[in-house]
Amino acid sequence: MNRALPEMLNCMNAPGTFLAGNCTDMTVLERQRARMKWHQHEHNDPIQLHQQQQGYNFSGNELSGVFSVPIPAGQAQAQGFMGLVCGDSEVKPDPCSENRWAELGYGSCGLVVNNNGAAGFEEMINGHNNNSNISRTFSCPPTVAAEKKSNYAVLSQKINSPAGKESFKKRKADKVQSSKAVAAENDSTEKRMKGCAEEGDSKITEQTSTKNNTNNDRESSGDTSKDNSKASEVQKPDYIHVRARRGQATDSHSLAERVSRTSEVSDLYKSFSLHLQILLFNCLCQFLIVIIQVRREKISERMKYLQDLVPGCNKITGKAGMLDEIINYVQSLQRQVEFLSMKLAAVNPRLDFNIDDLFAKEMFPACAANFQTIGMSSDMTNSAYVQFNPAQQMVSSCGLDMGINSSDLALRRTISAPVSIPETFLDTSCFTQAPPTAIWDADLQNLFNVEFHQGRTTPFQSQPFSGSIEASNLKMEM
Amino acid sequence: MRNSTSLKQEFLKKWIKGLQVCNSSSEKKMTILERKKAIKLSADIAMASTRNGTTCWSRAVIANATQSNRVVVERILGPHKPSRSVSSVMHKKILKKSRRVCSSRSRRVLMRKRDAVKTRSIVKRLVWKKTQVLKSLVPGGEFMEDEMCLIAETLDYIVSLRAQVDVMRCLATTTELINGK
Repeated sequence: MNRALPEMLNCMNAPGTFLAGNCTDMTVLERQRARMKWHQHEHNDPIQLHQQQQGYNFSGNELSGVFSVPIPAGQAQAQGFMGLVCGDSEVKPDPCSENRWAELGYGSCGLVVNNNGAAGFEEMINGHNNNSNISRTFSCPPTVAAEKKSNYAVLSQKINSPAGKESFKKRKADKVQSSKAVAAENDSTEKRMKGCAEEGDSKITEQTSTKNNTNNDRESSGDTSKDNSKASEVQKPDYIHVRARRGQATDSHSLAERVSRTSEVSDLYKSFSLHLQILLFNCLCQFLIVIIQVRREKISERMKYLQDLVPGCNKITGKAGMLDEIINYVQSLQRQVEFLSMKLAAVNPRLDFNIDDLFAKEMFPACAANFQTIGMSSDMTNSAYVQFNPAQQMVSSCGLDMGINSSDLALRRTISAPVSIPETFLDTSCFTQAPPTAIWDADLQNLFNVEFHQGRTTPFQSQPFSGSIEASNLKMEM
Repeated sequence: MRNSTSLKQEFLKKWIKGLQVCNSSSEKKMTILERKKAIKLSADIAMASTRNGTTCWSRAVIANATQSNRVVVERILGPHKPSRSVSSVMHKKILKKSRRVCSSRSRRVLMRKRDAVKTRSIVKRLVWKKTQVLKSLVPGGEFMEDEMCLIAETLDYIVSLRAQVDVMRCLATTTELINGK
């Protein structure tokens, strides 16, 4: 919201950009205006339009609240709007500027969505649910304008700034329905408008009726800019003076005269703009709701994945409980890593020990046996078998189908296995001419493959060696 | 998601390489704590490098490791060294920026969350707290504003942590046995 507002302010402060059509808001405005015109041609029944307008749940109070807000920024026009809103039969001096206000507010909403993401969505949806929020979003521009004027006053002073006070007062007045006060205000604004109009009138006489809207726009932007620059002053007595000075900029009064002629048209225009805006808003809100739903579904899907992954998590249904489990699991894994690294460090006096020793002891003798005698390999297997003996019962009790049921069988197997290993080793080395590390990798792969087939319940002692045995068996089969 | 076996193999290869680098980089005999540190560092880097920088947590792990021990990390990630150094500078910049942004944003988020907590139920607060804890656990989690992103990263992190633990346990038992012999 805060990011969007300065842009709006810029738009307000620079009427030239509006005129030139450089601003993006301008293009949107023009598009909308074209749409408006088309709608005007289509439906020419003002009563029906009025009913539609009432159908949008904008009660009189809310509307006045909405449109009274821009007052501090664009004083004269905004008060004109008040007249427009409070008394429907009154002359509408400037429908287009009001339209632009609404549009700007709308644009700010869009920007909010882009900037703040999901949080913005929620705000938007809240705003959709109760209209008072809409009025609040619309009320933002003047407060920020006031802020800017008072050189970046603190946000909490918003309400205390003169602009805010005034708007608040006006809203209150509307609520009490003290029609007299409103009427008086309206009269004063009308007078002011008239004065301005007479001054600027001579310049705008030749304009066609189709250009009316652009005129209105120019006027409103000029006025708003003026008002922005003059915000800190007390408005009422100074106003006429200021306007008199800036006669060129305020073409406003061709408007005021023409408004009486085109009041019906502007009425249509206004109601249609409201209509379209609300439609657009609804569409946007629905779209956002769909997005949020999709996101939630994705999250729950991922949570299910996590449930599958984390043991003991599938019985827990609550999100908090699941998060708890996940946290515990991750923590335990991290601690395990710590512990294992500590253990490795304790077991090995040097660092690169692991692999070199491992493979030097397990694999290289086998390789060497290839070139020398088989007897050596059998020696090695004997020694290995000696080592296996204590672990053997464990292995068999764990239900490994290694086939080591009797010591004889095991002996035969262990003897026969290394004989085959050298062959395969020879083959691979002949083929690849690779450095020994490649072979290590291959055998390690086997080792680990086997190990994970066995499952984690296997006692540690029996694991690596039974793994190597099965690896050799696998090789035999190959 | 890849097969866990191939993941383990890749991890083991990289880990062994990292261990060799660590060993060769230090001439003098290391104390047990130093050794433990080196082992853990190389294991973490190996685990992160199996992801090829596709996940946030792996990048965060590598970035943290680079801060603590630049030489070893660069040697382990050897072939990528030139691009690594460039990208690590970029990475640092991005990290700094994101830290700045995140700190301001997280403050805002905190404020908003506080308001929300007041109005909403206690359960939401619990969930939020736990999410914060999870963020602190997963490397690089502080920068994940999105819950979906956090959960996906946690998934991936758990998978690779499991692989790491399995491989390490296996190696530990193997070497224990061999040394015991």
